[in-house]
Amino acid sequence: MDYMLLLPVFLPILAGIVLLLKKEYQERKSLLSYVGIVLVVTGILAVYAMFSVTEGVTLFYLTKTLPVYFKADMLGRFFALVVTIVWILAGFFSFEYMKHEKNEKRYFGFYLITYGVLLGLDFAGNLVTLYLFYEMMTLLSMPLVLHTQTRESVMAGLKYLFYSFAGAYMALFGIYFVYKHGTTLEFTAGGVIDAAVLQENGVLFLVVTMLMLIGFGVKAGMFPMHAWLPTAHPVAPGPASAVLSGIIVKGGVLAIIRVVYQIIGVDFLRGTWVQAAWMVLTLITVFMGSLLAFGEPVLKKRLAYSTVSQLSYILFGLSVMEPQAMTGSLLHVAAHAFIKVALFLCAGAIIYRTGCTRVEELKGIGKGMPITLWCYTIVSLGLIGIPPTSGFVSKWHLAMGALSAEIPVFSWLGPVILLVSALLTAGYLLPITMQGFFPGEGFDASKFEKKEPNGYMLVPLVIFAALTIVIGVMPNVLTDVFMIFANGVM
Amino acid sequence: MNAFLLFLVVLIPCIGGALTPVIPWKKRTHMMIYLEGLVIVNSILVWMLLFNRPEDIFTLVNFTGDLKIAFQLDGLGSVFAGLVSFLWPFATLYSFEYMTKEHHEKVFFMFYTMTYGVTLGISLSDNMLTMYCFYELLTLVTLPLVMHTLTREAILASRKYLYYSIGGAAFAFIGMIFIIIYGENADFVLGGILNGAAMGAGKDIFLLVYVFAFFGFGVKAALCPFHSWLPQAGVAPTPVTALLHAVAVVKSGAFAIMRLTYYCFGADFVRGTWAQYLLMAVILFTIVYGCSMAVKETHIKRRLAYSTVSNLSYILFGVVIMTPAGLVGALSHMVFHAFMKICSFFCAGAIMHQTERHYVHQLDGFGRKMPKVFAIFTVSALALMGVPGLCGFISKWNLAEAAIESGNVLAYFGIGALLVSALLTAIYMLTMVIRAYFPRADFDYETISDVRDPNWMMLLPLAVFVVGMVVFGLYSAPITDLFTAVAQGSF
Amino acid sequence: MDIIRNFPCLSILLSMFTAIICSALKGKGARRLSTLVVGIVGILSAATLFFTMTTGEHYVYVMGHFPAPFGNEIRFGCLEAGMALFFCVIMLLSLFGGRHKIQMEIDLHKENLYYIMVDLLLSSLLALVYTNDIFTAYVFVEINTIAACGLIMITEHGRTIEAATRYMIMSLLGSGLFLIGICLLYDMTGHLLMSNIHESIQAIVADGTYTIPVLVTIALIVVGIAIKSALFPFHAWLPDAYGYSTVSSAAMLSSLVSKGYIFLLIKLIYRVIGFDIFLESKIINVLFVFGLAGMIMGSVNAIKENDIRRMISYSSVAQIGYIYMGFGLGTSAGVVASVFHILSHAATKSLLFVAGVGLTDVSGGHKNFEKLTGAAYRNKMAGVAFTVGSLSMVGIPVFAGFVSKLLFAQAAVQNHSKLLPTLIVLAISTVLNAIYFMKTVIRIYTPVHSKYASVSVKENPVYAVTLICFIVLNIVLGMCSEPITDWIIKGLSLFA
Repeated sequence: MDYMLLLPVFLPILAGIVLLLKKEYQERKSLLSYVGIVLVVTGILAVYAMFSVTEGVTLFYLTKTLPVYFKADMLGRFFALVVTIVWILAGFFSFEYMKHEKNEKRYFGFYLITYGVLLGLDFAGNLVTLYLFYEMMTLLSMPLVLHTQTRESVMAGLKYLFYSFAGAYMALFGIYFVYKHGTTLEFTAGGVIDAAVLQENGVLFLVVTMLMLIGFGVKAGMFPMHAWLPTAHPVAPGPASAVLSGIIVKGGVLAIIRVVYQIIGVDFLRGTWVQAAWMVLTLITVFMGSLLAFGEPVLKKRLAYSTVSQLSYILFGLSVMEPQAMTGSLLHVAAHAFIKVALFLCAGAIIYRTGCTRVEELKGIGKGMPITLWCYTIVSLGLIGIPPTSGFVSKWHLAMGALSAEIPVFSWLGPVILLVSALLTAGYLLPITMQGFFPGEGFDASKFEKKEPNGYMLVPLVIFAALTIVIGVMPNVLTDVFMIFANGVM
Repeated sequence: MNAFLLFLVVLIPCIGGALTPVIPWKKRTHMMIYLEGLVIVNSILVWMLLFNRPEDIFTLVNFTGDLKIAFQLDGLGSVFAGLVSFLWPFATLYSFEYMTKEHHEKVFFMFYTMTYGVTLGISLSDNMLTMYCFYELLTLVTLPLVMHTLTREAILASRKYLYYSIGGAAFAFIGMIFIIIYGENADFVLGGILNGAAMGAGKDIFLLVYVFAFFGFGVKAALCPFHSWLPQAGVAPTPVTALLHAVAVVKSGAFAIMRLTYYCFGADFVRGTWAQYLLMAVILFTIVYGCSMAVKETHIKRRLAYSTVSNLSYILFGVVIMTPAGLVGALSHMVFHAFMKICSFFCAGAIMHQTERHYVHQLDGFGRKMPKVFAIFTVSALALMGVPGLCGFISKWNLAEAAIESGNVLAYFGIGALLVSALLTAIYMLTMVIRAYFPRADFDYETISDVRDPNWMMLLPLAVFVVGMVVFGLYSAPITDLFTAVAQGSF
Repeated sequence: MDIIRNFPCLSILLSMFTAIICSALKGKGARRLSTLVVGIVGILSAATLFFTMTTGEHYVYVMGHFPAPFGNEIRFGCLEAGMALFFCVIMLLSLFGGRHKIQMEIDLHKENLYYIMVDLLLSSLLALVYTNDIFTAYVFVEINTIAACGLIMITEHGRTIEAATRYMIMSLLGSGLFLIGICLLYDMTGHLLMSNIHESIQAIVADGTYTIPVLVTIALIVVGIAIKSALFPFHAWLPDAYGYSTVSSAAMLSSLVSKGYIFLLIKLIYRVIGFDIFLESKIINVLFVFGLAGMIMGSVNAIKENDIRRMISYSSVAQIGYIYMGFGLGTSAGVVASVFHILSHAATKSLLFVAGVGLTDVSGGHKNFEKLTGAAYRNKMAGVAFTVGSLSMVGIPVFAGFVSKLLFAQAAVQNHSKLLPTLIVLAISTVLNAIYFMKTVIRIYTPVHSKYASVSVKENPVYAVTLICFIVLNIVLGMCSEPITDWIIKGLSLFA
């Protein structure tokens, strides 16, 4: 029954291809039911696969020594779970949102395919398989970015594509070396390269690791290759921006965890210039992302900059190379995924119902769309890190981990910057709530009257808001598992 | 099988092709059947030879002592001959359809078919002299194909092609002379035939001559700075650009360099010398330069031609790693690139044939109107980029593996160059794909209402190539094993 | 078979007397007679060649029963006989190929004069090839010059007369230097017969006396002949002379006259001065350098030229550079290559001249490339022949030029100090050759709507057959080079 692992990967891919090749549906309803059924079935299969399949599956061999190999370990399961939750909910959100876009069939086709690809990425059992799905993820999510086919979005799509490929190829450079010098490409706690080989080629491997970090870091919007993110995410349709910003960027995070902790090994990297450089890059990104978000007037762009910043929280936690910080990072993966998706969905709902895109247009929005704005507010608090939300817990672990890591300067500088960035986060998220609910004197609320969206949109929003709080209240379910994993790979 | 057959497969297309304009055809279909039959029969013969290789050498003419025109079939030759004879029938089929819109096709098919023979001649050559002769002949028989349209542009292009090719051959000639004089053995032998004791003139002279010869043959393989004929030669009809300027002619250059390096001078002789570093530096530059120019170019065929420039240097990169693994990488890219590039060129040709559009910016919205062609084009684009699961990834993998194994630091940079080039490939190929599939939102499909997929004669070859790309990409072990055996001399 | 030993002398005399008879004949008769005689001489030479090849020896034929050192001698081995045969073949083909032009361009009453010159030319060439007497050689050099002048200016328009004058002046300068050289030789050795001079020179050099005079003599002789055979930089007379004269003349001048002189030089090097002494003199390096320079400069000038005939002429400068470069290599392999190149260049160049005239004829007589566009479609045979000639010049396998290039390169490898310059210049020269010859080929195959009428093969069968013979000759030289090189090596060994 090991092949059950492949089913959730290939079912949506095939279903998506079928959808793309099919003629236009006569009725929108049949399209939606097809997509909905596939999403739900895949979700069920994925959850089943997550909890029942323990063995790895080799699909075929690219070359004699390069198997395409799948294995669901704890990390993969966790990521797959996050993906599944977000994908199904955002999918239902799209059912309503996509009404006002053209080419729905194409959108849903690629949406399904990307789902399968992401599950493939999460279940990938070795580096080459990971790379394969990583490339496919870039390619197949690109149509989501340029869906509206305006000049701006096509250019953004290309930018996304080329940055991602640049990153992927930098990573590939490293993969070649790892393959040659490593014992295997399968993910193994503590690394796959013999310590003697590592010592012998020390400089080479440090350079290679740095390249792989920057390369996979592209997807995670890490400075200096972050510029595509604020361009590409906002131009997509609302739910697409949400999954791009909430989930697909996490592909980069996953790849980095795999490389650092399960291929190269932290023992080799700890205390080297690579670690220092990585930390510097993440901290720059954290601060810079928040600052840029703070100054950005367009809501979706502001959220995209926020993603840049928040992703580097995760990466910072990873760069500390300490179990507790890693726990924080992993938790933040889930927290940020739910929060950012929710934020983008809110933005999407607002655009869908009112057409407003700029922050200053949103004055008084709370009068017409209270539920939406409440959800927005709850998840915003989560992102800032106010208890009892998920963001608080994850940031707490991040800061504690950093402080206990005893790395000179960074041990205290990191938490400080995280804190400053949290303040900035409050600064760029909360004014919308404030002005939305309290537009001030003489405000004409009729503009937003009865703009509350319908259930397709609201239910996912509410679920995400709830999830944010649930994780914040009961983090131990996850953190315990993460601690075991983190201790395992360190 | 009889060694004479080796000569026969060279002869059949040459004579059969030369007869084409002489025979008074009643119908075009008759000519098509004749040519296709000729090519298929010849290809079958070649494949029969591949599976029952004659052990002996067939000597056609014997000059003094070592100088002879002779044919034999060894591993390397088998790879090239197999590749060429596999592609030719399909390309011929494609060109029947393509040439319906061009003039004096009889002459065209005459030279087109003759080129087949000459290319086989190169792959079946037993020694340097024979290969050189066919190499020069190749220039001559392909020249009329380049100047086929006889426009001013075509004339200029063919002139340039000729000057470059003959000039290159003139330098390759120097290498040939050295091999003839200082070789222990007239035939190609894996590992080199240079007689160490006879080297009176010092090693540096030999390396210099090697570099000359490398550049000489490198002209056909579009090595920078001698590459500029290739994009210009794109004025030829597409079957020519696709088959000759992406496979037969340019790969002959690469093949000749393989022969020169591994079978004449010997890789051990050159490894670690200044010659290796110099050549590798030039090749790395070409890899990046070709791609950059492709990004800049807006004419579809010229863009693909620049892409060829870059990809040919992938092959040469494999060659100058100077290890058996390097040869494996070079061979795999030689074969895989043939599939990828002929496929993308044929797609470009289908576009030109169906719509008379030549520039990238005219491709808006074609994805919907020519779905089959563009689906195939997309696959070939992805393969060229080296997306895993398609054949381009495998050859890059083999090249990178060889580069790392060699421990040569410049080769590490070579991997970097490959990847930079892959990125640029993504840029120049995917911009076309995206244009075709995602035109501007306000794009009016009425403006391209005349655009539609071509008929089966064009689509069949495309389909075959695409299947090849996917199959090699997913299941490469047997063919890589074959290349390894060739590179180690056990095949 | 002994009668064959008389053939060389007989052929010289035969052609001389034919010249005298021709003066009394009308044009047509002279033409027929001369053609016949060239043919007969060819057959005689063939017989001689066969004879010498089978016996494998060389023979001395004493004229007028005065034994050496007083009498005049003819000496022939297989190389001489073969050369004579080859010259006859080329001359015959050139005459056939340019026959219609001769009738067109030359005053009807003077046609017999043309054939007188042809006969004289033949006899002087034969004498240069066969003679063993250095002064006889000089005499026939002069006869050759006069005949050549006549051939150049027979069409009697301004440019040919000017060209003939230039040729005359340069040629006489060359023969003057040659004569001084002979005088010095005679002074030093007291002999005029080549074999005797050779012995004396060996003795003189062995003694160490007269080192400088020997050097000067070699220099004078070599430079004299170099001027006459248009080695760069003494080539200024050549383009005009070849470019404006009637086509048969141009073909014969380029492929026979200059080659006759070069063959004489080879004889002088081997049989008078001695190859070793020639090697030791530094003249050889001068020849090498000028040869290389000629290979490049001739081609560069040809590229600049806009007149097809003058372009072919400049190409001769380059090709003569090849030949001298072969001498300059200072190996016997180099000389073999040079001799082979004499053959291949003669065959190719006359082919090009004859084919070129076919192309200009269908372009209204214009010789510039603009007008020649598409000429190959108007005169198909000439187009094919010109292409073959061009390919041979560029050095494409199958054709004669490739073999000589191969031989030159192989010879160069044996001389380490001159190896790289030779090979590189050879390569560059190939490129340059390709540039101007292939440019022309592409030009004549570029279709254009032309106002000029086209000519079919049937309209001038002689011309077509001649071209076919030329092509066959070229391919034979290219494909069957092995017996030819064997023959050259054998002949050269008989020289020493």
